[in-house]
Amino acid sequence: MTDFRRLTGMFIATLGLIFSTSYASAQQPDRGDEPGLIADDSYQLDPEWQKQVVYYRTTEAPGTIIISTNERHLYLVQPGGRAIRYGIGVGRDGFQWQGLVNITNKKEWPDWTPPPEMIQRQPYLPRFMAGGPGNPLGARAMYLGTTVYRIHGTNRPDTIGTKVSSGCFRLVNNDVADLYDRVPVGTKVVIRQKPEL
Amino acid sequence: MRTFRGGLLIGLAVAVLVGALAVVYEMYDTRTLKRTVRRGEVFCGVNKGLPGFSIPDDKGNWTGFDVDFCRAVAAAIFNDPSKAKFIPLDASERFKELQSRKVDILSRNSTWSMARELDYDLYFPAVAYYDGEGFMLPRSRNKETALDLNGSKVCVQAGTTTLLNLADYFRANNMKYEEVKFDKLEDVVKAYDSGKCDTLTADASQLYALRLNLSKPGDHMILPDMISKEPLAPVVRQRDDDWMMIVKWTLYAMINAEELGITSENIDEALKSKKPEVMRLVGTEGNYGEQLGLTKDWAVRIIRHVGNYGEMYERNIGEKSKLKIPRGMNQLWNAGGVQYAPPMR
Repeated sequence: MTDFRRLTGMFIATLGLIFSTSYASAQQPDRGDEPGLIADDSYQLDPEWQKQVVYYRTTEAPGTIIISTNERHLYLVQPGGRAIRYGIGVGRDGFQWQGLVNITNKKEWPDWTPPPEMIQRQPYLPRFMAGGPGNPLGARAMYLGTTVYRIHGTNRPDTIGTKVSSGCFRLVNNDVADLYDRVPVGTKVVIRQKPEL
Repeated sequence: MRTFRGGLLIGLAVAVLVGALAVVYEMYDTRTLKRTVRRGEVFCGVNKGLPGFSIPDDKGNWTGFDVDFCRAVAAAIFNDPSKAKFIPLDASERFKELQSRKVDILSRNSTWSMARELDYDLYFPAVAYYDGEGFMLPRSRNKETALDLNGSKVCVQAGTTTLLNLADYFRANNMKYEEVKFDKLEDVVKAYDSGKCDTLTADASQLYALRLNLSKPGDHMILPDMISKEPLAPVVRQRDDDWMMIVKWTLYAMINAEELGITSENIDEALKSKKPEVMRLVGTEGNYGEQLGLTKDWAVRIIRHVGNYGEMYERNIGEKSKLKIPRGMNQLWNAGGVQYAPPMR
């Protein structure tokens, strides 16, 4: 009888453990935004996400930014059928968007004020964080139209190539600084999405 | 009695004649699809060993871009990609072997050219991979285009069209260069790796493979410029239109699938789609498959077993492979490249 009781106890405990862990994983930690974490700028990106000049045929003028959400690449169109390609991190499912916008503002080491809808989803986020190495927006930010979205740096270089953000596009700090110096306010930004079935 | 024996003889003669006719018909029947179905296998002529395109492992399992394309044809016909048999062919004999019907299809990094179609009575249905002559150089040289190569020492293989294209390109752009020539490709690579020249030229697909063998592959890059046209395509015999159509639309179905966002992972979802273009491709509307001599779900079979064009590319030669060739010209026409399939309607 005691054996049976012990077994039942173990069974219940196991069930509890399973439920609690599956609950924890359902509460997807937003590994995109980790205030205070200092970026490791020596992080080596996979070749796929490293900045490189590639063949790129387009009718868009040189200087235009084309973002391919599906590929996780940002192209800065160059003359002569070329583009500078950067690896990016994009919005998680349900946080992806598309369309045509312009860069409306540029900031170095931007402060971070998470928008209210983000605070609502992730109440643990700070209401304000001053710009600097530990800031999730990283070294530079370029504002996209009148949206709350930005092209920005990161303190999590390992998230390049993934879909984890709330709709922003992130580059490693070296790349975002390089891009920042190449594009003025007013630059056209085309954001493309995977076609729907 | 006489009449019975006579009848028997005539009957025998007729039987022999019919038998002989059947053998001749079998030998000279030019309809590849019928032969393939009867045999239960597609015979694919492939390269003996070219990393990323077609190469067998020590157990005889073939992998590669060209190999996968042939598997896609087998999947379309048999709903089974393993119904493709790979027959390695030398560069010198490949077109003759196809002509003599040793293989049903050549899927062997062959450049489509007018002379080849005319000389061998062959047909290249569609471009599977846009290749071209390019340049590899050390990353540290910080060049962005081939036009920055004025005054370079160029390592190149002697006696090739590569050498001629190189001369044409530099002359056309008023640029000077110095040839560092070798008969063997491995000597060209050795010279480059030991710093005897500033850049190495060869077909781009080859450059990515050669880079793997350098002492520090990560320190070298391939410029995005192509200075020649090397469209690689599968090859079939002329005057066998039914077969040519199957090969051509197998490739186009894979390219269109990528454009429509249909992958091997979401193919079941695609079968429920209400988008007309998707419905025509997966066969829930129209009967293109049957018109090809196959089944309604021919394209679904291809995508399910082999994937769309992008999946085939990335797995074998793209960023997910060892070669890491950027999509470049082989990206879709609406995403920066020139890969363009006619619509399926």
